[in-house]
Order: sequence, then structure tokens, then C-alpha cells
Amino acid sequence: MARRGRQALFFLLPMLILVVAFYILPLILTAWISFTPLTNWRVRDQLDDFVGLENYVNLYYLARYDPDFHKVLQTTLVFVTFTLFINVVGGLVLAILTYLIDERISLAYRLLWLLPRMTPLAVFGLLWYYFFYGGPQGTLNSFLLKLGVIDEPVRWGTDPAMLPYSAWAIIVFVNGLVGVSYGMIIFYSAFKNIPRELIIAARVDGARTWEVIRHILVPMVRWHIVFVTVWQLLSLITSYTHLFVLVQWSVVDKWYGTTLALYVFNTAFFDVKNQGFAAAAAVILVIIGSILGLVTLRIMRFSQMISPPRGDI
Amino acid sequence: MVEVRLEGVTKRFGRVTAVNNVNLTFGDGEFTALLGPSGSGKSTILYLVAGIYKPSKGRIYFGDRDVTDLMPNERNIGLVFQNYALYPHMTVYDNIAFPLKLRKTPPEVIRDKVLEVAKFLHIHELLDRYPAQLSGGQQQRVALARALVKEPEVLLLDEPLSNLDALLRIKIRSELKRIQKELGVTAIYVTHDQSEALAMADKVVVINRGVIQQEAPPDTIYNEPRNVFVASFIGSPPANIFPATMDYTEEPCINLPGGTRHCVEDEYAGVLWRMKPSKVIVGFRPEHAEIVENPVDGRPVIVGEVYTVEPLGRENIVTVASEDIHLKVITPPEVRPEAGELVYVAVEKGKLMLFDPQTEVNLRYIAREWSQGG
Ligand SMILES: Nc1ncnc2c1ncn2[C@@H]1O[C@H](COP(=O)(O)OP(=O)(O)OP(=O)(O)O)[C@@H](O)[C@H]1O
Ligand SMILES: [Mg+2]
Repeated sequence: MARRGRQALFFLLPMLILVVAFYILPLILTAWISFTPLTNWRVRDQLDDFVGLENYVNLYYLARYDPDFHKVLQTTLVFVTFTLFINVVGGLVLAILTYLIDERISLAYRLLWLLPRMTPLAVFGLLWYYFFYGGPQGTLNSFLLKLGVIDEPVRWGTDPAMLPYSAWAIIVFVNGLVGVSYGMIIFYSAFKNIPRELIIAARVDGARTWEVIRHILVPMVRWHIVFVTVWQLLSLITSYTHLFVLVQWSVVDKWYGTTLALYVFNTAFFDVKNQGFAAAAAVILVIIGSILGLVTLRIMRFSQMISPPRGDI
Repeated sequence: MVEVRLEGVTKRFGRVTAVNNVNLTFGDGEFTALLGPSGSGKSTILYLVAGIYKPSKGRIYFGDRDVTDLMPNERNIGLVFQNYALYPHMTVYDNIAFPLKLRKTPPEVIRDKVLEVAKFLHIHELLDRYPAQLSGGQQQRVALARALVKEPEVLLLDEPLSNLDALLRIKIRSELKRIQKELGVTAIYVTHDQSEALAMADKVVVINRGVIQQEAPPDTIYNEPRNVFVASFIGSPPANIFPATMDYTEEPCINLPGGTRHCVEDEYAGVLWRMKPSKVIVGFRPEHAEIVENPVDGRPVIVGEVYTVEPLGRENIVTVASEDIHLKVITPPEVRPEAGELVYVAVEKGKLMLFDPQTEVNLRYIAREWSQGG
């Protein structure tokens, strides 16, 4: 056993070093900073100046009383839930469609869905900036004006009358468009690995297309569904780049377009540059992420899926 | 149950013609083996009958019913794949129950039927397991159970035994035959193992490059191969085949390798006189010849030099080189000539086969067709 342990360590070591250098150490550093009053990167004076739990207490009061922060929390919840749903279920639906249609069309179709992911962030942001722009020159507005659906241009993401739902719809839509291709690619390649005979056998057994999907395709990729769900959950909790662009260019309302991750980023590097406070929020974010990740694995019964190996290799 | 008929069926995949203008009848309740080398179109025929492929041309009938345009689930067939294709995420029970569930059979009926077929195939103790927890032979039975639980009219088997070891194969082979007869189901069995085909089938269909070569009971396939392909495909080792020139001075005689001559039996004489080919293709089975020291009167004899002797315990395979032709002869174990020794290969009376060099068809069949045609 000791020998196997050592062997395992040998193979895991390179990865462990990377994890320690780029994850554990920054985490410890963040946790450290969260107990200091660090602002404006005055590292020399403030990094060893402990204020105890002050940042956490502030965070608590903010969460309790600050209406803007409430919006951030709500937005986070809505954004993560709905975008996750689109990313997993939408990805699955797209993968099934592309799997069932003719290979050449399927390839073009998959490439099309990959475009948002391959487009540089700034270009992508600009696209939506023009699309949802509040003036009459905005793509959506000018289109709807021409069609006569609306009489006046609509400020899609910022008009208080439509908040918060319009802003939420936009951020979920834009992020879903980027994220859905990930699930699609993973699920599609998983489908491609299912032996053709299984599908034929199901057909011979009398399964219609819908029953093949339900009884063969989806159950056979359940592993991949768990993986994509957890992966997307964690990345949605922590990602902020697309939201940053949307908020910064005022495509959407500032608070109903900001999730906790973006809030941490803005607090640390952009608005007030209060790194100590941001670090405290980041630590909370990591804790939430870890718990949610574990809960998801639990709900999806991950442990039951790991079957014991058939040999003692 | 039902008779399966293919009428002028052709199947193309792009430029490949996998099955070419096939006319075939699989008798009601009969066990038919489809035998042919790899890539000959056996699986394609099976899948055409199953409805997985649509023919490019021709029609398929189950009895009087034209099923050409019917989906697999509308045909009432059971199909067993070479790799079994069990659903890995379902237990054995669910695998067998799957076709019934799709038919919206009531759960109690499903239960009864699954248990019945599982008992019949001796897998009722495995119902809670997953396919990955079964041995090859057990998986094969589960696949068979899944095909049989539908009570199909036609049972299609695509090399179902090829993943099993030799002993198990022989055991299951007789079991399969018994099951088929007991159920009276029309069975089509794809294999490239000739001993399997000859041992199990009521009728053997030999196919090559998508074209039917011969369709006959096993002993006919073995004793009277219709053409050179069938003769050289069946038997282990297969028949010796070589070209020879003819001589018609008094009666049709074959100039055999090594310089001997053999004047043909009456059944061939008529055809040869009429066709007068300058050459024929000659064939005989290794088990229909013996090694002799002196040529015996009347029997066709070939002179040659012993090339190798392979002792197999029960018998020996002696290879004799005559001119540039290698002939194999099966001999009793005590016959062990030295390599290089000069010997005579004598073929049993009436066991020499002659084929038309152009069409490669057995002259016996040509003679028969002529006498029938007038
Ligand atoms: N789906 C397909 N697409 C294109 N070509 C195919 C397809 N299926 C079969 N073929 C071709 O048709 C021919 C016959 O194939 P088939 O699978 O019927 O052979 P087989 O007799 O079953 O061979 P094996 O003993 O190796 O299973 C082969 O040349 C094969 O390459
Ligand atoms: Mg095949």
C-alpha cells in the first residue's frame, strides 16, 4: 500500500505543484488579505495590519442592509440558475440534434454554435452593445421600429420599468450563448462514442427516436452530464468577464447585471479598490462554490457512478 | 411462423455494391446459414431483412406481406449482434424487458415473460446483474433472450458465437439449434465459420462479393459445390483446385499434372463432348484422395513429390508437389511418407470435380441444367 501511495504521489506530483502554486497559495493569500484593511494596494503598510473579522462583519452588514448588494445576490442566484439550465439542457438538446442530423449539416451547425465562444470578448461585447443599444440606432430597436412593433426605442437592459427581468434576461441570454456550446461539444462526442449497434438494437426493439434519446442516448452520457453541470456551475459562480463588459458599457443595469464574482472584481480592482473587503467576499464565494459543487455531486449520485474496477490493475 | 423472401434485392453504399440482385427464400421454420468471407455482404442481407437498411432495388416479403418499406419494429424480428449490443446501463432484467416495455406491455405480463425466457435460457439467476458483470457466454444468452422475448417470427443472428471460445461454441451451437427447433422460428444465421454452418443449418447459402454462389443443404454444398469459389471456400483444408488441359482423341480425357491421364466418367462425357473446352478446372477434396505406391486401375492418379507432412494426431495432412501445383491429401496417421519421396495421389472414384474454365461452374450442374432444359 505504501508503495502504491508513493507511485500515486509520483504521478500526481506535477499537477499537485501546479495546484499548490496557482490555487492553494493564492487562496491562502486571499484569506490572509481578507483579515487586513488593504486598500489601493498599499501592501507595505497594510499587509501585516490585522483587523480581525472587520471585513466579514462589513460584508454581513452589507448583505443585511444594502439594497444594491441585495440586487447583486439576487442577480447571482438568478444568473447562475438559469444560465446553468441553458448550458446543460440546451447543450444536451443541441448535441442530440446535431447527432441525429446528417453529418455535413451537423458540422456546420456545431461550428455556428461555437462562434460565440471563439469570438474575442471585446468584439462579442460590442456586438451586444449595438444589439441592445437604447437609442433608435440599436439593432434590436431599429428592427422592431421598422416592423412597427414598437413606436419608441426601448432601453432594453436599463429601463427601470422593465428591471430587473430585462437585465437578467440579457445576461442569461448572452452568457448562455457562449456557454451552451461547451455542453454541446462534450455531449456530442460522448454520443459519437456510443456503439452504433446499441442504437440499431434499440430500433429493432421498437424504440422511436424519442425513446432512443430517453432510454439510450441520455442515460449513456449521464457521467458527462454530471461533469458539465458541476463544471459549468463552478465557472458560472466565478466568471465575470462577459458581465463586466455588459455592465461597463451600460448594456444592462449596473446592479442587476452584477454577480458576486463581478462585485468582488470591481471592489478589488475597479471601483473602490478595497482589496481587504474584496478578499473577504472572495473567500465567501469559494466556500459557497465548494458547498454547491459537493451538493451537486451528491444530488447527481456521483459515487454510485464510479464502479469498482474489474481487475486489480 | 413465416417464410422470408428476397426478390431481386440490391444494396449499394455509395459506389460499393454490398448485395447484388439477390433472390433468396428462407423457409418457414428453417435454420438457414449465410456463409461467406469477410465483407461478402452477409450482415448487409441480415440488416435488409431486419429493416435497418432499405434495399436500393428489389422487394422483401414475410410470407405474403411486403415488408420492404416497414420499419424494424413493424417486422416482428429478433436480432442478435456479434458483440451482443446489450444496453450497458440496464440490468439483465431491464435489457430483456426493454422491447416489451416499448410495446407498452402490462408490467405483470413483462415479468412473466422475462422470467419464462430467462429460465428457458438458464439465466434467471443473473437478472439483477449488469452486462459488464457477465461472461461472454452469459452475455450471449442475454442477447438471445432479448431477441426471443418478443416471440419473433424471424430470428436473425449475426455471428453470435464468434466471441466465444471453441468449446463453448460447440456447446451453445447445439443448444441454439434445439431452441430454434423447439420454437419453430425461421432463423437466419450469419457466420464465416463453415463448420458452424454445416453443423447447424438446414440450408446453407454461400455468398461472395454480394452474389449468391450456392443455396443448398449442407451435404450438397460439401459434396457438390456449384462452382470453384464454393469448392475452395468449404472444407478444411479446402478442395484442391488446379487447371488441366483436355484431350478428345477417343473420349474426353484430362491431362493431369505429373503426366498421367484420366478419361472422365460418363456423367461428364456428354457435357464435355458438347462444350469441347480445351481446358478445365479440376478439383477434389483432400479427404477423397489417398497416397498409394502403385497407380491403381481406373482411379485418377497424380504423380508428385512429397513436400511436407503435418501430423494432426487423428490424421496427417500430406502436401504433394506436382509440377508447380501443391495438392493436399488427408491420410491415416500411420501413412507418413518422407519429404522428397515420389508418390501417387489417387482420387476416389467419382469424386473428381470438373469446372467450366470460363464461368467456373461445376460441369455436373451444367449437365443437369441441359438435361432439364432439353
Ligand atoms: N454502412 C455502410 N456503409 C458503407 N459501406 C458498407 C456499409 N456496410 C457495409 N458496407 C460494405 O459492404 C460490404 C459488405 O459488408 P458486410 O458488413 O455485409 O460484410 P460481412 O459479410 O458481414 O463481413 P464480416 O464477416 O466481416 O462481418 C463491405 O464491402 C462493406 O465495406
Ligand atoms: Mg458482418
